[in-house]
Amino acid sequence: MLASLFLIGALTTTPQMSVQAASQTIVEDNVDGMARAVNRMVGGIVSYARWPDGSATTSRLMCLVGSPRLTERMAPDVPGTGSVVVRRVSADAAMLRTDCDILFLGRMPVADRRQLIAWVRGRPILTITDDDAACIYGAMFCLQNRPASVSFSVNLDAIGRGPLRIDPRVLRIGGGAS
Amino acid sequence: MTGPAANRPVERIGARTTLQKLLSRFHFGITLFAVALSGLTILLAGVTALRGYADRNMELAARLGAYGVEPALVFNDPVAVREGLEPLTHIPGIARLRVLDDVGRPLTQWTSPAADPAPILTRVFFPRPFAVTVQRNGSIIGTIEVWGDSSTLIDYVRIGLLAGLGCLLVTALGTIFLARRFEYELVKPLNEIATVAHDVRLHRRFDKRVQPLGIAELDRLGGDINALLDELQGWQGHMESERAMLAHRASHDTLTEMPNRAAFDEQLGQRIQAAETRGARFALLFIDADNFKAANDNFGHAAGDVVLVALSARIKETLRKDDFAARIGGDEFVVIVELDDETRTDGLAARIRTSVAEPILLPGGESYRPAVSVGVATFPDNGDDAIALLTAADAAMYADKMSHRSR
Repeated sequence: MLASLFLIGALTTTPQMSVQAASQTIVEDNVDGMARAVNRMVGGIVSYARWPDGSATTSRLMCLVGSPRLTERMAPDVPGTGSVVVRRVSADAAMLRTDCDILFLGRMPVADRRQLIAWVRGRPILTITDDDAACIYGAMFCLQNRPASVSFSVNLDAIGRGPLRIDPRVLRIGGGAS
Repeated sequence: MTGPAANRPVERIGARTTLQKLLSRFHFGITLFAVALSGLTILLAGVTALRGYADRNMELAARLGAYGVEPALVFNDPVAVREGLEPLTHIPGIARLRVLDDVGRPLTQWTSPAADPAPILTRVFFPRPFAVTVQRNGSIIGTIEVWGDSSTLIDYVRIGLLAGLGCLLVTALGTIFLARRFEYELVKPLNEIATVAHDVRLHRRFDKRVQPLGIAELDRLGGDINALLDELQGWQGHMESERAMLAHRASHDTLTEMPNRAAFDEQLGQRIQAAETRGARFALLFIDADNFKAANDNFGHAAGDVVLVALSARIKETLRKDDFAARIGGDEFVVIVELDDETRTDGLAARIRTSVAEPILLPGGESYRPAVSVGVATFPDNGDDAIALLTAADAAMYADKMSHRSR
């Protein structure tokens, strides 16, 4: 009830804008700072997503396509009992697999990305990218680097199309700052 | 030793009050006590209940806050934490909010801009903040702390006191009305009793009685007073009949039951006065038994008494309505006869003589024929005062007696 209120609040405050920016996580000023911040953010996003099958504690497979811009050491830090296994795959391989729960889109050719986005539509797959600061190419969550922080924005259209459920509080955070 | 004892009655007189005032004061005291007691009880119960609700409210607020700031803590985002707290800042009764991260570092905090209306009350009711841990999938990722303030309590107490005051007013009015009514019911019958007692004492109205009053105790008092009045009335009646008897005895002859000399003197004076004012006439007849001493000596005193009684009875028989007869000596009688213009005085004497002449049966069996001498004097012809009239009548009687002897 409260969550739906938040959702309604989030929707009504930005009725036309489907792309929202952005929450930000403070990046600690050391070597591992960026990697830790990105992993924490991705883990947090994963923990607020609900797949039609399994529970919060089910281990999720992240298929990493392309090369991530923010960190090479992708190991999402899911709070609590959940966990994420990361596997690097090519775009074609990803579309052949059936076990990808999360698709992380790094830097890749535009055609591949379009193909992957089209393929994901209707499937219970969470899409995250760090190569789309404006979050307009169809990924659900878009990470972006900011001075001294990492933030994410939400593409409500993309989330609305898929069967995944995202906790509205995250949508609110992803859209509240702008 | 005598000092305080002597002072006390004086004080008591000084502090004398009416029953109505006493009852009124008593009623007011009881009412005040009852209302204050119930008001205090309700207020205390209300404050206790409200404290429970306030605690629940704080806890709920803390849980709401925990839910709201949870993603922000997951993403380590102080701005989002502040936004997550936003809904809580509109809840009344929250003085301060603070969010700590998983290692206890404060991330953000908010203090209500409204001043605490009663810091002491806040310290008593909310000595510690409500702390709720924020968890994500079973691991603690932060803590939210909520401090309550006394504003809701103050509101309740203020409304409660106002309502209590209103209740007090309504109750006081109601009680005053009821007390008035009660006092009226009680004081009215008491006044009735007092009125009766006053009437009896002042006007000697011994026939007055206290009516049934409808209150058992007062009815008993009224009944006792009535019984006392019954006795008083009895005594008074007895005294009055005694007095009448004494008065009769003083003015009448005990043997013949005729008025005596004193009564005759008074009557004669009145008749003279009346006749003088009206210009009327009356006759005074002086009657004396003949040879009464001889009859007394021959037949005894008992026989003499019988003769006197018989004489008086026969004299009375000759009287008309307004006439008056009295025995003024041993065997002497007087009669006053009102005269109109036609009445002849010599006829009067003759009628009495005839009337008494019948024989009398004496106790011893003998028959005695009495005879009387009669003298007549008329007012105002033979005298215009009592002595002159009596002297004239006596002289006429004597002349009559002499004429008998000579016969």
